[in-house]
Amino acid sequence: MTGVSTGMIPRLPDSAWSRGAAAHLLSRAGFSGPPEEIDALHRLGPEKAVKSLLDGAAASLATTRPEGVDPVDMIAFRQAIKALDEEAARLKRREWQRQERQSQLALTQWWLERLRGKNADPVAEKLALFWHGHFATSVEKVKRSHLMWQQNDTLRREGLGDFGTLTKAIARDPAMLVWLDTDRSFRREPNENFARELLELFTLGEGHYSEGDIHEAARTFTPYKIDPRTQKFTYRKRQEISEPKTIFGQTGDFSGDDVVDLILKKPECAPFIARKLWEFYAFEKPDEKLVSHLADDFRAGGYEIRPLLETIFTSAAFYSSDAVRKQIKSPVQWVMALSRTLEIDLPPARMLLGALNGLGQVPFRPPSVKGWDGGKAWITTATLLLRYNLAAFSVGNQSVGLPLGNSGKVKDPRRFRALLAGRLPLKKIAPPETRQDPRKLVEALTDRLFQQTLPDRETAAFVSFAEARAPLDDSAVRDLLQLMMSTPQYQLT
Amino acid sequence: MKHFEKHTRSLHTRRQFLRTSMLGAAAAWTLPLFLEKTFLAMDAEAADSATQTSDGKDGPILVVLQMAGGNDGLNTLVPHGDDAYYRARQRIAIAAADTLKIDDYVGLHPALGGLKGLYDDGHLAIVQGVGYPNPNRSHFRSTEIWQTGADAENLKLTDGWLGRYFDSCCQGADPTVGVSIGGARPQAFNSPRPTGVSLARPEQYRWVTGEDADEAFRSLNRPGEDGLGVGAEAGTSIGAITGESQNEMGALDFLERTALDAQLSSDEILRISRKFKSQVSYPKTRLAESLSLVGRMIAGGLATRVYYVNQGGYDTHSGQAPAHQRLMEELGDAVTAFCRDLKAQGNFDRVTLLTFSEFGRRVAENASGGTDHGAAAPLFVAGGSVKPGLHGKYPSLTDLNRGDLIHNVDFRSVYYSILRNWLKAPADQVLGRRFPTLPIV
Repeated sequence: MTGVSTGMIPRLPDSAWSRGAAAHLLSRAGFSGPPEEIDALHRLGPEKAVKSLLDGAAASLATTRPEGVDPVDMIAFRQAIKALDEEAARLKRREWQRQERQSQLALTQWWLERLRGKNADPVAEKLALFWHGHFATSVEKVKRSHLMWQQNDTLRREGLGDFGTLTKAIARDPAMLVWLDTDRSFRREPNENFARELLELFTLGEGHYSEGDIHEAARTFTPYKIDPRTQKFTYRKRQEISEPKTIFGQTGDFSGDDVVDLILKKPECAPFIARKLWEFYAFEKPDEKLVSHLADDFRAGGYEIRPLLETIFTSAAFYSSDAVRKQIKSPVQWVMALSRTLEIDLPPARMLLGALNGLGQVPFRPPSVKGWDGGKAWITTATLLLRYNLAAFSVGNQSVGLPLGNSGKVKDPRRFRALLAGRLPLKKIAPPETRQDPRKLVEALTDRLFQQTLPDRETAAFVSFAEARAPLDDSAVRDLLQLMMSTPQYQLT
Repeated sequence: MKHFEKHTRSLHTRRQFLRTSMLGAAAAWTLPLFLEKTFLAMDAEAADSATQTSDGKDGPILVVLQMAGGNDGLNTLVPHGDDAYYRARQRIAIAAADTLKIDDYVGLHPALGGLKGLYDDGHLAIVQGVGYPNPNRSHFRSTEIWQTGADAENLKLTDGWLGRYFDSCCQGADPTVGVSIGGARPQAFNSPRPTGVSLARPEQYRWVTGEDADEAFRSLNRPGEDGLGVGAEAGTSIGAITGESQNEMGALDFLERTALDAQLSSDEILRISRKFKSQVSYPKTRLAESLSLVGRMIAGGLATRVYYVNQGGYDTHSGQAPAHQRLMEELGDAVTAFCRDLKAQGNFDRVTLLTFSEFGRRVAENASGGTDHGAAAPLFVAGGSVKPGLHGKYPSLTDLNRGDLIHNVDFRSVYYSILRNWLKAPADQVLGRRFPTLPIV
């Protein structure tokens, strides 16, 4: 391990490592998995298990541009429009919008499949999802899926490295330049949007800078622009403000990169990021001592993310009762874990997007630059009922009128039902021998769905339901799975 | 500790009630019966409390409409009589001739024709220059300030002002006392013991269960025997206006309560949405759809005191004019249709709609044809019972605080007036102190 650790954070002793601990790690570092995957991780022991997960992530950071997500030469496009009469130009623009919508769908589908593990590593993808929520940018305003892909690639490529490099890359990221108006920020009147969020949401947190700092920092980013032909970052020298700026009480002719370096010197940056990562992976509201130890290690290690994750995943607190089964699954976690543990494919892309929209988390469309609030905010009466209905749908039980964005209900429920019902590998999930004994079946399904022991109330209710439905044919097993997932307990990990 | 006792008693009542009527007779359980019993319980409580209760058929209703992103107040209620306005906004100012004139000084944005009609009919109050001391220009912090009713410096208060209202007035009530349209829950509804439901599409606001699973489903989707009331009970004090909600509810407790609320509300909401259709036509916008749904719930007599709807997109840093035009149109047309609907139902007099946005925008336009985050701005109060007209004073366009308008009405004065004079709630308790009342309702 390369990180500089002060050794102030108690590690999980090898003796406390268990199959349950391995299941917890697999769920939090990634998106959970079927019993065999947990067994394999368990056999490695804590240190090797964590190392293998992070090695896996480190080996899968580069992506190639998804099919159908092409860069648009804006100059050529504008020239083409100019040459047309009004009506033809309108049609051309509409065609372009249609293509862009297609392209957004292709992009989102591409990431969802990666999150599910297709040609990708779940740990790397989960970290990319964290950074996406942190540097939250929405295609709703950016409107160019190719830029969103570039940003997504940057988040993954730099996300395990050092935070300073990542932040500097994000300051230059074309999607971010559009999202927070740096592409419209000019030397004669700098736009403060990016500078404000850089300080407030990306690095320091509210209250650790002044309005003056924002104003001055904004003056360093004015040359950051997008090359309209290539859709890549370009530095426009003539928008540069080469004058002294005063930021955090220091004065100099600072550049955008200098601003990031000044931020990293502030004592508030390391705890802000360390806390956010801890809350994402472990639990909310960690005590201040833990945060300050994490922050000390993080700063001493040059803001490297990988050692920080290693510290988190090997700490005793990460496996404590404050953490295990205390986190409300995000919609993406819920969908991916359901799909991985039941070993079924994701639903068709449009349907999945509709579902995620209803549940409150669509990749590439965070609600604001603050990202998703997460935790209890995932759960309302509306989203909870939708989770239950989606669970029913996923085990092939019912079609319950899934929201499909603007298109209304599922057009042909029977077709989708058949599609999904055929997929659930019931013979593997509930082999005939376990079906003889309802208690055994409940135990096997609990291990698969919850991966930890449940309170008596739940177990008793599941067993008595299974007993009432014996002999347990496929349809009874589906009903049982549905019931087990239609519970408050199933929303936790 | 008086509050605490009352609180405990009401929880006790609720718990008793749940045990006897819901768990005891799960099979025979029907919602109308539940509602009736709830109102009986509430009436019994009301006998020794100063708060009002109602059966959902005639109580006052508040609809809160959030304009998220920071609405440009200067281009909403345009000070067309002020040269300073035209000097500061050479590109995006609205010409005096285009405004819908209220008087010699102000006029409404040209797309707000519907609201102008309401104003002329005496159903619209406009409160000018609303804000708070030491304004914060962050969307998130300023939204939080509006949602919680906190002082700008108080970072500890995380409960919402409506959540505290529910706590003080609607303990033991039906969960639909607060209904938020859309999947999300507004922070304004937050309290240590969350009340209120969120609703996106009523036809999907239900669950399906496998064969013979209904009873098991219901029993698993409520707080456990020992969990019933714990978490909220321990250490909760209604007067916790100082901010710390000591024993925050755990994730599981929270999930179980939400599950119970979903159960309790779903049948009724489905029933109403099937039975009641809007009698007037609404525009085809998201905000109009939300308000149309609220209209149906009101027509159906849902026991709701507060509805919450949201309109986004007000963060107009660049190319503001066409975007803001669309937003104003969507707002004005949706609110107008909603008022027409309520009139047709005969419910106009018992509904008050309040708009708010986290801040206004800077007086001067920016170089991108937009405006940056500012401070004070006007807000609208509409309904059959409002005291119409202009309230407050338009802030000076020349005496500014770092480029921003200085507020002269604290937003909590608006809340205070509505809590006290409309919802008949103990406003001092909900907001933690007294604020000057405005004659708006």
